[in-house]
Amino acid sequence: MGSRAASSATHGGAFVRWLAVAIALLFLFPIGYLIWGTATLGTELGPTVTSRSTLLPLWNSLRLAVMTTLACAGIGTVLAFLVARTDLPGRRIWRVVLPLPLAVPSFVGATSLLAAFGPGALIPFVPRLDGYWGAFLVLTFLSYPYVYLPVLARLRATSPALEEASQLLGGGRRRTFFKVLFPQIRTSVVAGSLLVFLYVLSDFGAVALLRYNAITRAIFAARLFDRSTALTLGLMLALLALVVAASQRLITTARVSVTEAKVRQVRYQLGNYRAGALVATFVPILVGLLSPILVFLFWIFRSPATVGVGYGGWGDDLGFLAEPLLNSAGAALVAAAVAVLVVLPVSYVGARGRGWLPAAVTSAVSSVFALPGLVVALALVFWAIQAPESLAGVYQTFPLLILAYVLHFGAQSMQASQAAISDLPAGLDEVARTLGADRRRRFLTVDLPLIRPGMVAGAGLVLLSTLKELPATLLLAPIGFQTLATKIWGAAEDGFFAEVGIVSLVLVVLSAALTWLVVLRRPAAELLET
Amino acid sequence: MKIGRAALLLIAVLLALGACGGGEDTLVVYSGRTENLIGPLLEQFSNESGIAVEVRYDDSANLALLIEQEGDRSPADVFISQSPGAIGFLAGKGLLAPIPEDVLGRVPAQFRNASGLWVGMSGRVRTIVYNPELIDESELPASVFELTDVAFRGKVGLAPENGSFQDFVTAMREIHGDQATLSWLEGMAANDAQSYAKNSAIVEAVGRGEVPIGLVNHYYNLRAIAEDPETVTRNYFFPDGDIGSLLIATAIGKLSSSDDSEAADELIAFMLGQSAQTFFSQETLEYPLISGVAPSPLLPGLEDIGAATYDFDDLGGGLERTKELIGQSGLEGG
Repeated sequence: MGSRAASSATHGGAFVRWLAVAIALLFLFPIGYLIWGTATLGTELGPTVTSRSTLLPLWNSLRLAVMTTLACAGIGTVLAFLVARTDLPGRRIWRVVLPLPLAVPSFVGATSLLAAFGPGALIPFVPRLDGYWGAFLVLTFLSYPYVYLPVLARLRATSPALEEASQLLGGGRRRTFFKVLFPQIRTSVVAGSLLVFLYVLSDFGAVALLRYNAITRAIFAARLFDRSTALTLGLMLALLALVVAASQRLITTARVSVTEAKVRQVRYQLGNYRAGALVATFVPILVGLLSPILVFLFWIFRSPATVGVGYGGWGDDLGFLAEPLLNSAGAALVAAAVAVLVVLPVSYVGARGRGWLPAAVTSAVSSVFALPGLVVALALVFWAIQAPESLAGVYQTFPLLILAYVLHFGAQSMQASQAAISDLPAGLDEVARTLGADRRRRFLTVDLPLIRPGMVAGAGLVLLSTLKELPATLLLAPIGFQTLATKIWGAAEDGFFAEVGIVSLVLVVLSAALTWLVVLRRPAAELLET
Repeated sequence: MKIGRAALLLIAVLLALGACGGGEDTLVVYSGRTENLIGPLLEQFSNESGIAVEVRYDDSANLALLIEQEGDRSPADVFISQSPGAIGFLAGKGLLAPIPEDVLGRVPAQFRNASGLWVGMSGRVRTIVYNPELIDESELPASVFELTDVAFRGKVGLAPENGSFQDFVTAMREIHGDQATLSWLEGMAANDAQSYAKNSAIVEAVGRGEVPIGLVNHYYNLRAIAEDPETVTRNYFFPDGDIGSLLIATAIGKLSSSDDSEAADELIAFMLGQSAQTFFSQETLEYPLISGVAPSPLLPGLEDIGAATYDFDDLGGGLERTKELIGQSGLEGG
């Protein structure tokens, strides 16, 4: 091994490490705001932290997050497996449709599912969605794509050799799945599950409407007139997220084999399980996507198109949607691209680094995702206002808005890329190094093609999250910059349901189109080739 | 493939940059009223006055937080609040500037700040929304205080975190005292009152029959009927000036940091003019606050319902204590 190659690797490695640290510091701004706020308000932490009105919501959020995470891990993994690796009928359509529940803002999902299911609702013969179970079901069916997308990407990059060997040796399908395939996708399952966990902690829209006493409800209730409680609770949430994200490393797995996506994957015959598999695929779509869509249509068509202000119902002019539509698409595409690029060094250090650094940088990035959007937005307002006069021009501009999206959702692209990077075979890099390829060349020609499915999956997650983002858009967007999500919020706030319905419908269609374009188009083309 | 994606990104960036306009000579409004309920008026004002207006819409409390954090650097000139609580919070922080006397004088004294820091624009009346299929109007109580009666056990929906519910509780404290108010809140909690996130969620729940009665603003059921003419739920107003039928004002004020104070005054005067007040009365089905403009025929007259009024002046300051009492009563979260 030449000493020149070794030293250049060290240099490059140091650069990436410093970059990762700098980026991680950026992600600590929201926590910095919470610490500063708690400290300057002179909050007595003791009473707030130990009071029942704090501990109960915290415990409620925690158990909801754990149960929803487990459910999403199961559903997301099974769906990804069915779509990527079996002869499930209609899998090309399922593949496009399955990520879409993620595009439904949680308050819209909750409002529409409340209108859909339960006594007095459109489908009256089922129990009412309420409290813990209501929040669990709604959040599960809206959040499983956090697992589905990264696992799907991972399944497309596993090497078929092991599975083939296992089957040749008489391993049987079940054994092959659990002993051979699952260890290879475990990192992605864990990464996606962590995202679900953090997302459920941060959610306010669904838990509030489903009347579940979660910690975000307490934060919102206190935000204006009991600031110190709101900040302390936010800080507790952030610390919890840091701890959980740091412990993620304890359960992730060692490197396993990968292959470039063009290889034909092992495809399992469903046989007798075909009907069951179809039902299993259809249920999440039915609850997370079709039910809200049917409720949207119901809202649109029941309204007489004669009302004064707002969208009146079917037949009314839709021109007011053009600008928000373009704004949504533009912001989401830019945020997705920037988020993927910005967190890449952190993903590398997270996957490849040694010692305490990887845990520190990755959990800094992850923790922001557990905060309610309002807290992230207010943190950025705080820092932007503190900034020197020369930077004042940045305030409430498009770049600052994108920064807010990237800080809030960077965890998603980081988890997806990190899972892909940690599954890169170590030998490959060494071979390339021995052959004299420099770091840049090794990244572009060896690593990038292999981790690209993971990066694209991460971009897809950020894209969908940004499309429905609300609090930061409302507070930080350039003035007058409206998105489909802010339109939906405005309409919902004052009970304009026909308008909520039509704009939500457009949001879902836009999400489908962009997801297909960014995440799925290439794999679909490859499928046709093979 | 790659070129397609890059082109898409480029288009997105250009679009986004195009949206970043925003000149210097514009009046910046932070509005806690949503676009449907104020947008057409702002447009009309802009056309008539020639003053360009830009608006940021969000929840009133979030915008109040934003303005407080922005302090002197706030780009906003005018704040429109859906309730006196949020704007009172800013008045208490010294972030609002006085409005000219002649404009203030158009609105009765109880719907404006004594120092002239904010003024009411339109009124919403606290009411019961009920489902006639589950409870007869004759069974509804004459006072909100009777809702702690065992007859209403588990039958009342309310929104303890909602601004107008909290304003109502603050008014109750001022008129009936903290002790009576706390007893009522505790009575409601003990009577298994159901907590919801917000007014429209309560109207929906009453419509589905989850609870027969809800405590909301009059606006929401009228909106529900406009959305769906087959809506069965109806409003019921407590008679005889009961605190349960309190008139709550939406409000407007200008920021002391505003660099365009005259244009701000013009906008405020416009909102208290004939055409804006007629818009509130006819289009958004609220109560106009200036004399000479009648409420919509869809609404009972204020005299007919004997809506309670209350001087909302120190509502912002009083809200901290209100929140304490609500927290103490156990109504929140449960």
